[in-house]
Amino acid sequence: MGICARPIKLNKPNPGKLTGMLLAAGVLCCGGSLLAQESSWQLSRTIDGHPDFQGVWANNSITPLERAVGFENRELLSDDEYARLRAGVAEITDGGGDAQFGDGFFDALVSGEVQSYDPSTGNYDQTWMSHRNLERRTSLIVDPANGRLPPYTDVAAAKVTARLEHIEQHPADSWTDRPLQERCITYGMPYLLAGYNSYYQIVQSKDYVAIIQEMIHDVRVIPLIPKSAIDEKIRLWHGDSRGYWDGDTLVIETANFSDASDLRGSAGKRVFMEKFTRTAADNLQYEFTIEDASTWTAPWTAVINYSSSEDPIFEYACHEGNYGLSGILSGHRAQEQAANSNGN
Amino acid sequence: MIFVRYPQLHRVLTGSVAIFLLGFSLQVAAQTTIPRTTDGNPDFNGIWQALGSANWDIEPHAADFGPVVELAAIGAIPAGLGIVSGGEIPYTVAARAQQQANKADWLALDPVVKCYMPGIPRANYLPFPFQIIQSPAHIVVAYEFASASRIVYMDQPDFEAPLLSWMGHSRGHFEGDTLVIDVTDQMPDTWLDHAGNHHTDALRVTERYTHIGPNTLMYEATLEDPNVYTRPWTVSFPLYRRLDENMQLLEFKCVEFSEELIYGHLRKTD
Repeated sequence: MGICARPIKLNKPNPGKLTGMLLAAGVLCCGGSLLAQESSWQLSRTIDGHPDFQGVWANNSITPLERAVGFENRELLSDDEYARLRAGVAEITDGGGDAQFGDGFFDALVSGEVQSYDPSTGNYDQTWMSHRNLERRTSLIVDPANGRLPPYTDVAAAKVTARLEHIEQHPADSWTDRPLQERCITYGMPYLLAGYNSYYQIVQSKDYVAIIQEMIHDVRVIPLIPKSAIDEKIRLWHGDSRGYWDGDTLVIETANFSDASDLRGSAGKRVFMEKFTRTAADNLQYEFTIEDASTWTAPWTAVINYSSSEDPIFEYACHEGNYGLSGILSGHRAQEQAANSNGN
Repeated sequence: MIFVRYPQLHRVLTGSVAIFLLGFSLQVAAQTTIPRTTDGNPDFNGIWQALGSANWDIEPHAADFGPVVELAAIGAIPAGLGIVSGGEIPYTVAARAQQQANKADWLALDPVVKCYMPGIPRANYLPFPFQIIQSPAHIVVAYEFASASRIVYMDQPDFEAPLLSWMGHSRGHFEGDTLVIDVTDQMPDTWLDHAGNHHTDALRVTERYTHIGPNTLMYEATLEDPNVYTRPWTVSFPLYRRLDENMQLLEFKCVEFSEELIYGHLRKTD
């Protein structure tokens, strides 16, 4: 079953207490480590001597990818803001309202408007969602320093606009008009949505690292041994990856993305570098940099804190149960037929 | 006689035989020395693939027309000796009738045609490679076809399946140098081949992977499902290591290739 990741704006009745609660706070945050450090913790090693990253990891961070307006040049929330964030999350979670995906929590708390991604037919409620991890950070993006994606190039801006116009005029003429995630092909590389099947399992052999992604079931098999780059004619949805250890950090470089492998307007020309560093028994720091001069005017870098999970990975059989896509297409055909019958 | 006339040749030939026999014994030793991981377990890491036509029909079959005759040679079904021990699957009468009905309309009914995950054991004899990534606690099997995968739990024998799944629930252990994997809790929807061979959700597959050379495994799987089979039965075939230079898995996400078939009738027409 595919889930549309593009929220449809719905201004619900203002929950009142949430209104502007974060913006009202004017206390600048102190610095400090972004990550919880355990003084007694020591990095364990695999039987082959590599840093041991094995286990199930979750991206349930509540921090949005981009820093919200009003938090310019502020990397961290103040104590007061953080307390209000915690209270607001509890209010939304316990309220039994519509589910908040990805950045939705933080956005709701900043704007004071809880939005539903699907107000027309109903939404998942919050009981479907994973418990979210609270952080003081105001954005996952750490570079540029303003915590926001760099501006699009003119070419990319025109391409994104054209795509949006096409979708508006042809929302479901064919399955190819629907998002890749709704077609059960991919949620993109990297998968950025937090709190929704955002689980990974890492298994390490001597020469390979397997990263199992629960969302739409996928395994990235990363070679750590020298291997020639594949031919540039071979283009892939998730790109072609090569890995190596830089001290205790696993570095993965990925290229050969296909022109259809859309990630916020970027596709075949992007180069993707990831750095995994275990910073605590229960924390795997995931830093990635995306460079695509045809799409953004500068490279950008983000850091996500993956938390350890005791739960197993489940099989996400997406395409096998994709009744939603048939329903969307047949619904549009029915609407057209009805319109034709009415002489419109 | 020749040795009497040429005693030096006698010595040379005797030495050659000795060298030949030494070489032979070394070869035997090499075959019995299997690759091992750092912790001493048999090492199944690698990219493997089956050869043959079992994906078309795991029972013995002659070559035949494919379902789309316009595809001619590339659409025809190659013959196969079969991989079922004894040749025939011991179906109940009703289950054999179901297989025949499946086969009669397989292009419309076979889940793999729609790019659904293939299940076990079928994933292991599809015409696509798969990679094993082995750690002491978990063995990952990543299949190129449809990005299907399995996590084999090596250290959790009591971990019951949380629910049915297309690729099943796999718990493994070593018996000597053989990797044994018990696969349970598979969705009843998967088939065993294009010929409509089938099972129910009671299927229990016991897989055995054994090295028979540095680059070859013997694969054996015993299938039990009292709903449709009258007794347990076994398939076996070799798995070959892909030795191609720079071999790696590529993508065959598959979904995109099935969308015309599944959704084509729902496309807007002017």
